[in-house]
Amino acid sequence: MSRRFTPKVVTANDLIEGDAVWLSADDRWVRQMCEAELIEDAERAEARLKLAEGQGDIVVGAYLADAQAGENGPEPTHFRETFRTRGPSNYAHGKQVEAA
Amino acid sequence: MLPDLTTATVDDRVAYLNQRYKHHAAQAVLERALSDEAVGRIALVSSFGAESVVLLHMISLYDRATPVLFIDTQMLFEETMAYQADVAQQLGLTDVRTIRARPEAVAAHDPEGLLHKTDTDACCNLRKTEPLERALSNFDAWITGRKRFQGQTRAALDFFENEGDFRIKVNPLAHWTPEDVQDYMINNRLPRHPLIAKGYPSIGCAPCTSPVKPGEDPRAGRWRNQEKEECGIHFINGKVVRGPLPVEVEIEEEKPMNVIVTDQGFVNDDWAHGFIAAADLETSAADAPAVAIDLASDADPTILAGRLDGVDLIRVDFPSFSDGRGFTLARRLRLMGFNGRLRARGHVIADQYTMVRRSGFDEVEIAPELAKRQPWEQWQARAAWQSHDYQNRLRGAV
Amino acid sequence: MYKYNDFDEAFVRERVAQFSGQVARRIDGSLSEDEFRPLRLMNGLYLQLHAYMLRVAVPYGTLNSRQMRQFAHIADTYDKGYGHFTTRQNIQFNWPKLRDVPAILSDLADVEMHAIQTSGNTIRNVTSDHFAGAAADEIEDPRPYAELIRQWSTDHPEFQFLPRKFKVAITGAPNDRAVVKAHDIGLRIVRNDAGQVGFEVIVGGGLGRTPMVGKVIRDFLPKEDLLPYLEAIVSVYNLLGRRDNKYKARIKITVHENGIETVRDLVEAEFIQRRELFNGADQALLAEIEPAFAQPDYITADSQGFDDFYKADPVFRSWVDTNLTEHRQPGYAIVTISLKAHGATPGDATSEQMRVMADLAQEFGHDELRVSHEQNIVLPHVHKAHLPAIHARLAAVGLATANVGLVSDIIACPGMDYCALATARSIPIAQQIAERFDELKLEHEVGPLKLKISGCINACGHHHVGHIGILGLDRAGVENYQITLGGDATENAAIGERAGPGFSADAIVPAIERLVLAYLELREGPQETFIDAYRRLGAEPFKAALYPDEAGGRKHAA
Repeated sequence: MSRRFTPKVVTANDLIEGDAVWLSADDRWVRQMCEAELIEDAERAEARLKLAEGQGDIVVGAYLADAQAGENGPEPTHFRETFRTRGPSNYAHGKQVEAA
Repeated sequence: MLPDLTTATVDDRVAYLNQRYKHHAAQAVLERALSDEAVGRIALVSSFGAESVVLLHMISLYDRATPVLFIDTQMLFEETMAYQADVAQQLGLTDVRTIRARPEAVAAHDPEGLLHKTDTDACCNLRKTEPLERALSNFDAWITGRKRFQGQTRAALDFFENEGDFRIKVNPLAHWTPEDVQDYMINNRLPRHPLIAKGYPSIGCAPCTSPVKPGEDPRAGRWRNQEKEECGIHFINGKVVRGPLPVEVEIEEEKPMNVIVTDQGFVNDDWAHGFIAAADLETSAADAPAVAIDLASDADPTILAGRLDGVDLIRVDFPSFSDGRGFTLARRLRLMGFNGRLRARGHVIADQYTMVRRSGFDEVEIAPELAKRQPWEQWQARAAWQSHDYQNRLRGAV
Repeated sequence: MYKYNDFDEAFVRERVAQFSGQVARRIDGSLSEDEFRPLRLMNGLYLQLHAYMLRVAVPYGTLNSRQMRQFAHIADTYDKGYGHFTTRQNIQFNWPKLRDVPAILSDLADVEMHAIQTSGNTIRNVTSDHFAGAAADEIEDPRPYAELIRQWSTDHPEFQFLPRKFKVAITGAPNDRAVVKAHDIGLRIVRNDAGQVGFEVIVGGGLGRTPMVGKVIRDFLPKEDLLPYLEAIVSVYNLLGRRDNKYKARIKITVHENGIETVRDLVEAEFIQRRELFNGADQALLAEIEPAFAQPDYITADSQGFDDFYKADPVFRSWVDTNLTEHRQPGYAIVTISLKAHGATPGDATSEQMRVMADLAQEFGHDELRVSHEQNIVLPHVHKAHLPAIHARLAAVGLATANVGLVSDIIACPGMDYCALATARSIPIAQQIAERFDELKLEHEVGPLKLKISGCINACGHHHVGHIGILGLDRAGVENYQITLGGDATENAAIGERAGPGFSADAIVPAIERLVLAYLELREGPQETFIDAYRRLGAEPFKAALYPDEAGGRKHAA
């Protein structure tokens, strides 16, 4: 590969709750991105996405999002993904309170 | 002319009856069969299956006391048993006779109830043919619900048949199409067999009946994966024939037919004259007996202006359910004065059925695959398209 | 107000039942997401960044106290205690669970409301002048027609799968408060030379990626031809509109590419056909609808208390001067309740605030409320004698901000704080601008100024028609805000011009401040509003204020 693969996570929204979820290495959908599997190569990413897309009874709209390794696990690189890990900025709602 | 009944053979009587009633409608045939001297003592044999209710209803109108023979093979669906009781009560039938195999015969030949797994013919014989033959021995004729459309083996069915030179079989519905059956059931508000909604257009014994996929022959679910096509109670040339009837027609490899969705249910396509592209209308033969046009979703309907009189059917394409042009095309064709049959074909989903009907279509043609994914119940949920319609109120429609 | 009849009631209940079944089929797996999505969208249910979002229509912006209280109940029961009023006279709930949505729709049906056609490629909630029936400048109340259009467009079998969404707005006043020229169809009630009342029909307006001001397709349409004419337009669009490119699918592009003359010819031809379909039943229905919008039973009362209080209390005076509009009935006023307290989220109201507004409407406002496209709530019929009491009770729940029409009365879409389509946040920018101008204590000095923020090119925040517009974009993974100048949402509709390069999130608020301060320097006097000054001077002096370094750089270079 000429280009280095940007690490990814598989993410989606929960079918019932609607909140952001991430795919963990042991095939669970987790509520916090830091528990997600950080995928380091394209082939694995494709396989993991395929797995996620097959779980339409649990999640909606699975996709691959860029990520990087952080102290406690994968971290977002784009601000949109950062918001998804936290919640809105105008109220203390969403994941920012669940995590606290 | 009426044969001398004391000397006339069954053949003579059948020939006479077919000639006499050949232009009659089903109801008339049945009505006459119940009283015509040339027929004699008669009973209705009913499985209380998917379409049985039509004849049961007709009987109830002419003579509720007509003997109805219900063959309980003791292998029937629970739903059939419940349905049988309901229908008999609802229609006020006073002489329903439940026919069963003799217990000693069952004990001798099928004590475990597994005979159908090894020998379906023997099973049919034990539980159906033999008991029925016994029950029919007191009758000169019996009425069946068999129809020509039900398969190649029944394609030449007449109203009256000679059965073994000793009995007459009356088939009042021989010429009915699936639509006739559905119309009759709708118009008379007849109760439906509960298994129809579950994909069983033809219902026999539980072990040997499976649901039919849309696009398949409705009887394809009977004795699936076996060569058997008819149960053992039919006779050919005076001889009892058990097992499959000889097939005389070459079976062509065909892809499954599309399913036509109507207010009454999924039916097979009865249009047999083909389709031409809208652009070819001009060059089509003027004396064609029936003309049907395919109209693309991006077509300009005005190309058909002034030519709609000779058109029997227009089929508007829906390349995708999200492409709503077809709805406006239908409305426009109606505005242009088209009174013929209007069909939506392609990717139309069940939840759109109300829109389809309200914008002027009569029916929808969908691929078998879609019919399987969105079975009739999903369409049925939207089949009451006349109710809750703001457009009717705004247009003062009747 | 319009009351549901048995038909409306049965219709909405039927839809609730249908959607309950669809949700159940989705949850039990018999419907895939692909199949479910259009069905949920038809019922106003989106899946956003953090949760589902339910958009509920407030038809033509009119509601009563019972309906407002039901919003409060829904906010408390199924959401996080608040709702968001949108620029299309809808309310959005940001946190419902999929399982709860049928119950919410059922609760809405209890108060004659629904979420039907608040999404999808169909005719959306019809919007109207939020001062309809109260404004002094009105030719006729547009809402009976809006209700007629609501009924006609609801579940219209031909128009549920259009090339793209389709928005209709109607106004009965020459002063356009419904932004009709930025809609797919805009209807203005007009009087012709013969003195008859009818509609001027405007088509092909819209904001979004390619903003366009609508064009007049019919100068004067007799009232009774409304539905067949609308049907002709939408059916022509349904066949002619592009389906190959989502960004070129709106009718504004259809009109642009085919020319208004071609579209007009097609529509007029189709109109003749469509008129055959209507035999007067629609007019009979309209006649049944009209009494529901009759003027309320106005009261007479002594306004001396109001006058005294007005003189005595500067806070009250400021609120009256800013938030009140002239009513057609002597002694009455139209009250706009600002949902734009400095630092608050534009358009948000807590359940407590909703209940207070409902109470005030019931006690003092002939039981009527309006949602404005500017994301405020209106009490359309209030006798002035009640204003001091109303003000006090609004103040107690933070709803007495005196800023309607001023720089902090910002329209803002939810942006990337909620919306899955957004490219940047809008709310924090609105909050910071409002707070900054509150600190400066300048906004009353600045006077009327429309500032509108969208968090993406789809322009839900109407930034194109703001005097100052802000568009949030994603520039290489960083939020970036582009400014447009000189837009106008009124009857003189104009699309704003891009001022220059965008600003970072940190730099956008100071940039707006420079811009407004420059206006104060440039204007001929307090009577010259921002937009008037802009029209007189052009963009250049404002751009210079926005980009001082660049201007300086050019000077050095020169």
